[in-house]
Amino acid sequence: MDAQLQILSEFSSSHHWMWLWPEIVLAALALALLAVELLLPKSDRWLLRISLGAQVAVFAALIAGLVGGTLPTSDVALFAGAIQPTLSGHLMRIFFVGCSILVCFLGYLYLERRPLARAEYYHLVMIVTAAMMLLAQITHFVAFFVALETVTIGFYILVAYGRNSSYSLEAGLKYMIMGGFSSGLLLFGIVLLYGAAGSPTLIGPAGDPFQFGQLGAVIAENPGNPLIVIGALLVIVGICFKIGSFPFQYWIPDVYQGAPTPTTAFLAVSSKSMGFYLLYVLLTGPFLGLQSILVPVIGIMTYCTIAFGNIAALGQNNVKRVIGMSGVAHAGILLVGILAAMRGVDWAFQAIFFYLITYALASFAVFGVMCHVAPDEDANQEREHYFGLMQNHPFLGGVLAVGLGSLAGIPPLAGFVAKAAIIVAAFQAKLYLLVAFVLVGVVVSIFYYFGWLRAAVTNPHPEIQGEPHPVVAPSVGSRALLAVLALASVVLGLYQGGLLS
Amino acid sequence: MNDLSSLLSLILLTPLVGAGLIWLLGNKRGNLAAGISVLVAGVIMVASLFLLYAQWGGEPYHVAMPWLELQPFRLDLGFYLNGVSALMLFVVSFVGFWIHLFSLGYMADDSRKARFFGGLSIFMFSMLGIVLAENLFMLFIFWELVGFSSYILIGHYLKTQEAASASQKAFIVNRVGDFGFLLGIILTFWTFGTTSLPELAQHHSGATTAMALLLFCGVLGKSAQMPLHVWLPDAMAGPTPISALIHAATMVAAGVFLLARTYFLFDETALTVVGWVGTITALCAAIWAFAQNDIKKVLAYSTLSQLGYMVAAFGFGTLYGLTQGEGHGHGHAVWYGLGAAMFHLTTHAFFKALLFLGSGSVIHACHHEQDIWKMGGLFKKMPLTGLTFLIGTLALSGIPFLAGFFSKDAILFVTKEACFPAFIILTGTAVMTATYMGRLFYIAFLGKPRSEHAEHAHESPWTMVLPLVVLAVFSIAGGYFAQLPIYPAAVNEFLGQAVPHPSEDAEMTMLIISLIASLGGLALAFVIWNPKSERDALAAKARPIWALSRSKFCFDEVYMFYVNQIQARVAGILDTLDSLIISGVGTRVVPGGIFGGLGMFFRRLHTGNATAYVWWFFGGVILFFAVATRGFTSLF
Repeated sequence: MDAQLQILSEFSSSHHWMWLWPEIVLAALALALLAVELLLPKSDRWLLRISLGAQVAVFAALIAGLVGGTLPTSDVALFAGAIQPTLSGHLMRIFFVGCSILVCFLGYLYLERRPLARAEYYHLVMIVTAAMMLLAQITHFVAFFVALETVTIGFYILVAYGRNSSYSLEAGLKYMIMGGFSSGLLLFGIVLLYGAAGSPTLIGPAGDPFQFGQLGAVIAENPGNPLIVIGALLVIVGICFKIGSFPFQYWIPDVYQGAPTPTTAFLAVSSKSMGFYLLYVLLTGPFLGLQSILVPVIGIMTYCTIAFGNIAALGQNNVKRVIGMSGVAHAGILLVGILAAMRGVDWAFQAIFFYLITYALASFAVFGVMCHVAPDEDANQEREHYFGLMQNHPFLGGVLAVGLGSLAGIPPLAGFVAKAAIIVAAFQAKLYLLVAFVLVGVVVSIFYYFGWLRAAVTNPHPEIQGEPHPVVAPSVGSRALLAVLALASVVLGLYQGGLLS
Repeated sequence: MNDLSSLLSLILLTPLVGAGLIWLLGNKRGNLAAGISVLVAGVIMVASLFLLYAQWGGEPYHVAMPWLELQPFRLDLGFYLNGVSALMLFVVSFVGFWIHLFSLGYMADDSRKARFFGGLSIFMFSMLGIVLAENLFMLFIFWELVGFSSYILIGHYLKTQEAASASQKAFIVNRVGDFGFLLGIILTFWTFGTTSLPELAQHHSGATTAMALLLFCGVLGKSAQMPLHVWLPDAMAGPTPISALIHAATMVAAGVFLLARTYFLFDETALTVVGWVGTITALCAAIWAFAQNDIKKVLAYSTLSQLGYMVAAFGFGTLYGLTQGEGHGHGHAVWYGLGAAMFHLTTHAFFKALLFLGSGSVIHACHHEQDIWKMGGLFKKMPLTGLTFLIGTLALSGIPFLAGFFSKDAILFVTKEACFPAFIILTGTAVMTATYMGRLFYIAFLGKPRSEHAEHAHESPWTMVLPLVVLAVFSIAGGYFAQLPIYPAAVNEFLGQAVPHPSEDAEMTMLIISLIASLGGLALAFVIWNPKSERDALAAKARPIWALSRSKFCFDEVYMFYVNQIQARVAGILDTLDSLIISGVGTRVVPGGIFGGLGMFFRRLHTGNATAYVWWFFGGVILFFAVATRGFTSLF
């Protein structure tokens, strides 16, 4: 008996399966959903209830753990160095579950009106979320690539989910081609790093060059090695594809427009946040030794991304494309936070994380309204569809106003505080020119956000624009959810409750 | 002390809750919205009076909680109650309530009541925010909010082109001033590391003239001082209660309030500039008032002129206090400027709100006729309105022993001591004030009705007359803070300390000057404009003077020239570029948005097919590498 315990405890000393319970629960539940659908084919609402209920339970348990302080903050690496529990990674896990809940709900709103398979949507969202949660803690490139591909392949399907829409299929194909290409580059970069860092010709070659810590030690010793530089750049290119920063943003307008609205939200919030967290982990971790090369590159990329996103969003009329291009601009501002982190501002992660939260709250509020206003062809959501929204559906109009206001950074909404935090961090990192550039970008962004809002406030003239666009009246559930999102954007603007300290 | 902060929070948040309720419930129910709004104004007034009479003893009260804390940067939300803000709180809540009550009658038949009363509640929230704000950033946020609510309310009669363009003009002109104001706040923060008013009051060494003048830019816009005065007369296109509340009694006075809040940042140079800007505004606006035939426009120019008085009072009064005021006996000499300015602000709020509401009552009775040459004989038709309007006229003219006399007296006294030429101008302006007000009263209220509507005018309902009577009482008694308990004790005490008094022998001189100026002006008006005349005597007999007054010194024309000829052309060029680059090329071929010249090239390649995307992606990677390795030199 003792011997068995001994073996068990040794086994568990490295392989803390219990630590991964949220991912395991989500994955198991995703499989269970398929079974439920198989056994009870007409259980539409139950699918939503099961997936939402279980995810809310996971979310609540994680939050409770965080508040109760029971999370293992140990720096002990699990699974032989593949997984490293950290506070920031844990926060991102909670963030991903929260987003997943909202995506599932938007998915329900979308699927309710369309003859598409139900269970598979929730299934895929949960699998992808589980993989993202893993990614937030992984410190080993093999596990990293596998988890990243799980996310990416899930997204290929989710983007093309609207099989009855040619836009959705086209977007899926484009996303797959571009995604495959970027994954290839990423993998190539990993291989180069592996080859270089394991080479005995370098100073202090690593035993396991896939492991972030060991790789970082090698890079710190050999920052000028061409293979290492190329490898690191390729890995960064692969991640920049995910966040859609310039010059890797080509896919964004087409894919955002074509994908079903909930998938667009999932891409815009979860996938982008994941990319930023990975970038943060890599740039302040293993790639720290390449600072002198990477800071200027990321710096120039930031300028271009802010300029490009804002200018391109100005000319868009399709609101999904507006969200897409403005998302590029937001990526630029987040890159400013990453730069501040690279230059040693110790609280930059808080600023980035807070920005991600406010961005998620505001985006989901806006996407929630979009789901109600969207016409049958989900890809054709024009600004004109919003005429008269404020008068005919003051609730949806109000939520849209709060969401767009927060995205634009109007005080006292949460988006303002988030932008202010990033700007202060950049100021402390002495990125003065970049601060000025961000401010100009913010002013420009007000134009296109308010252009959208103006459409909602404008009352259409029936003789000119025809009858107002039909809008699905929100149910009690979606009213409650949207109200919570809008309220959170207001409350977080007034009180941050320690999120920034 | 905790009671005080919760009471202040109640005062500040009640109107916001009211506006929220109106938005949720009253959107289609105008009467409900009106009820909520008036109730809210009542709660504010009762709570403010309770606070000032029973809770607050006169000690400066300061409470703040951090809103945004980012290491060296900190933004606080909080309240700062001292003599200045207590007086302002009294004015805003008290005058505000009576104007709300008046609106109930005036707007009874309006089709968009909910919007109007919702806007009023938003305004009350924003204005109280300015009054109570603890630091300049918070003040600025509410400053912008009052601008926004003013914009909404000026444009209430959306159907008229006049209202739409007036609201835009007000908005744009105020942005010009606010830009300077914001720079001033940033400079203040940069210099002192804080914008908290009580903290600044204690450590203000290092304040510069530039800082003070940048802050003063905000006053130029909000209080419509020259050269940013052009928006205020046009703003009269809004409903009359709005003109009374926002564009006479409270919001436009916020600039003066700001000066009083930050008086310690002003040095002698800045004070001289401030004083002269106010003096010139007072003079010019009084000249322009002569050629106006719209009853509200006359009052609007009069408001401009009186705001000029307040600003001049602040400038010269503080200058006097700084340079020669020590040893003159009672109170705090550096407070003379803000004391005189705030005192005039208070009495002006009473009598100008009274005059505007009186004009509203007249306009209401004459079926929205605003031309004084189509009125006449209204004193007999509307005795209460006529009587209260007369009291307002006399108070504004500075007839001794009414409220306006005392405050104007204080201003003239400090100006005489600090800057004699300005004193001469302001005394001359006082004569003109009495003259144009006399003209207005004689023509509109005396003589015979000159139109059908005036013929059939009759007294307004009680909701409109009661506010007139209350405000008339205060227009008479508002000056006797030393003798009567007109204001809460703490406010009385503050006024006693801050308002400058001429010494015994100078007092007689000042009294005589005021008497001659006011009575002389009224008499002069009677000589020129006989109440029985049908046409404007000034326009007929002294055409050049009338034309000069009518021209308003061509400020509008110069601005329009600038906007049309210069700004519009630049905007036109930008627009062409915009449609060429951003809209034309940028929508489909996004890279073209930045690389204008490359745009066309990109468009040919960028057919929307995935192969092209892959090539672009690949190009991006190369670009990325080129930047990373400075053209690959560091690699090989």
